[in-house]
Amino acid sequence: MSTKMCFEIPVLVPSTKGSLVVFGVESTSHTFGVGIIEFQNNNVCVLANVSSQYKPERGGIHPSEASQHHVNVSNEVVKRALSEAGISISDIDVVAVAVGPGLGPCLRVGATLARFISAYWGKPLVPVNHAVAHIEIGKLVGNMRDPLIVYVSGGNTLIAVQKDKRYRVLGETLDIPLGNLLDTFTREIGIAPPYIVGGKHAIDICAEWSSEFTPLPYTVKGSDLSFSGLLTAALRIAREAGGDKTKLGRVCNSLRETAFNMLIEVVERSLMLTGKREILLVGGVASNTVLREKFETIARFYGVRYYGTPPEIAGDNGLMIAYTGLLQYLYGRIVKPEELVVKQRLRLDEEVYPWLL
Amino acid sequence: MASLSNSLIARGAEAEIYVADFLGIKVVVKKRVSKPYRNPIFNKMFIESRTRTEAKVLSELYLAGLPVPSVILVDEEGGVIVMEYVEGSRLSDILGTLPRETIIDISGSIGKYAALMHNMEIYHGDFTLANILFTRSSSIVIIDFGLAGYSTDIEEYAIDLHLMSRSIEALYPEFSEIFTKNMFEKYKEYSKIGGENVIRKVSEIRARGRYVDREVRKAILRERYIG
Ligand SMILES: Nc1ncnc2c1ncn2[C@@H]1O[C@H](COP(=O)(O)OP(=O)(O)O)[C@@H](O)[C@H]1O
Ligand SMILES: [Mg+2]
Repeated sequence: MSTKMCFEIPVLVPSTKGSLVVFGVESTSHTFGVGIIEFQNNNVCVLANVSSQYKPERGGIHPSEASQHHVNVSNEVVKRALSEAGISISDIDVVAVAVGPGLGPCLRVGATLARFISAYWGKPLVPVNHAVAHIEIGKLVGNMRDPLIVYVSGGNTLIAVQKDKRYRVLGETLDIPLGNLLDTFTREIGIAPPYIVGGKHAIDICAEWSSEFTPLPYTVKGSDLSFSGLLTAALRIAREAGGDKTKLGRVCNSLRETAFNMLIEVVERSLMLTGKREILLVGGVASNTVLREKFETIARFYGVRYYGTPPEIAGDNGLMIAYTGLLQYLYGRIVKPEELVVKQRLRLDEEVYPWLL
Repeated sequence: MASLSNSLIARGAEAEIYVADFLGIKVVVKKRVSKPYRNPIFNKMFIESRTRTEAKVLSELYLAGLPVPSVILVDEEGGVIVMEYVEGSRLSDILGTLPRETIIDISGSIGKYAALMHNMEIYHGDFTLANILFTRSSSIVIIDFGLAGYSTDIEEYAIDLHLMSRSIEALYPEFSEIFTKNMFEKYKEYSKIGGENVIRKVSEIRARGRYVDREVRKAILRERYIG
């Protein structure tokens, strides 16, 4: 998304005069990001959304390396965001920061920086739940009020709705998250990291080596999923394939197809259970074009509206933190810098949010 | 089965539901359909295997006296089951409109029937408010056994209770506490396979996506999707 785009806020907020500039910091995991928005007359305009990603050379994310990356790039990212927005730090009205869920050392980089900005320039500080932010930015950009929410990332795979001012989880993974499944599999068979090349996940690149499909273990329990049996079986077959590219491609294609079919099925069951007329797909895995196509098909089949967040906002970013921080601020949910705490295991359904239905 | 003149009354997550007349009895024709977003091999596998499972489990439970529709005909390859028609509404649609005492009664019945079903080593697999019908005579009927199975693993039984209690929490949070508590109590009362252990397992399952033990959680978070 280019900057200077504006959106009407789809949730109820107290009416406010004048304008507000919100500065949001994201650092829960692999991404250090800063987003800046301007709020006026129930509209939000994007002034900047800058981020830098830590990319492990081997294996998955090492929390200490990731947090060092965040420390190293923070000055540059903040400066770039401010210059893109054409403001100086004293023009900010509110500072927002993601306080969890995430990795302790990474969370603390963002929290420390936000506390400093708040204390030094005397700006009000608001804490943001990272999972809630993924959803709120999707609702904003997709203009949705009451969707069935599908949140798929490396750390989360869940289906939720809002009811009585809380997010309510309807279905989730009983073991590993979807993004984690794709990352772990591609790493174990030696084709990642890097996990993403030219906007494509390693699993998609590998899946292009074959168009054949073998059904793999498929585990759906009501609206819950389990991917561990699928991962184990796929790894076993991949090992038998040796270095044969076509055979590996077949496993990649089958793993992706099986996992996505499972996800779509629980989405379908949740749609039937709740009767929602909108589907919102958010989180890092929402960038996957094969998955997006499946969502478009299921939406057409049931005649419901679908919106999937585009890659620029599907992955972790500062913009979603700034926007959710604005909602927090408008409802007076401000904390003193010394009161701001990070919560590694903050849950989606833990808190009441006054702007929810 | 095409000979049954029928009309579409509902569409579930898997099937199209028609009502028809069979020997003077009002029946339901449940036809599992292919999905354009599902792999054709899976479509064929699931339509057959789930139809077979559902028909088998339904007749077993019906003969044991549980409140499920009786099966009349089954065409496994065609994915069709003809069963008794139940006059009623899905609990997911109407629970909130019922008096509190009725809701409490229902929660007890659900706990009781879940226990009786699990005593037979059968789990439901999609045990939510959408798959319980509430009839005119104020009783409940359990439907939709496509994901059911036979198992002695208490995890499967616990998942049933977990699915039910979570569907109430999401749809009718105002009743969720009393509903779940009462359902668990009756479940324990009627369980012959260690209801206590099943209930304990439910909390364990709930904890997985949330407070998963530190090490597992760490490992998971470390692997977050890049991008
Ligand atoms: N025996 C029945 N009598 C009356 N209505 C039924 C019966 N079976 C199913 N239905 C209706 O059809 C809907 C879908 O049926 P279900 O068996 O749950 O299929 P699915 O697997 O597609 O969810 C139910 O929610 C209910 O409204
Ligand atoms: Mg059903």
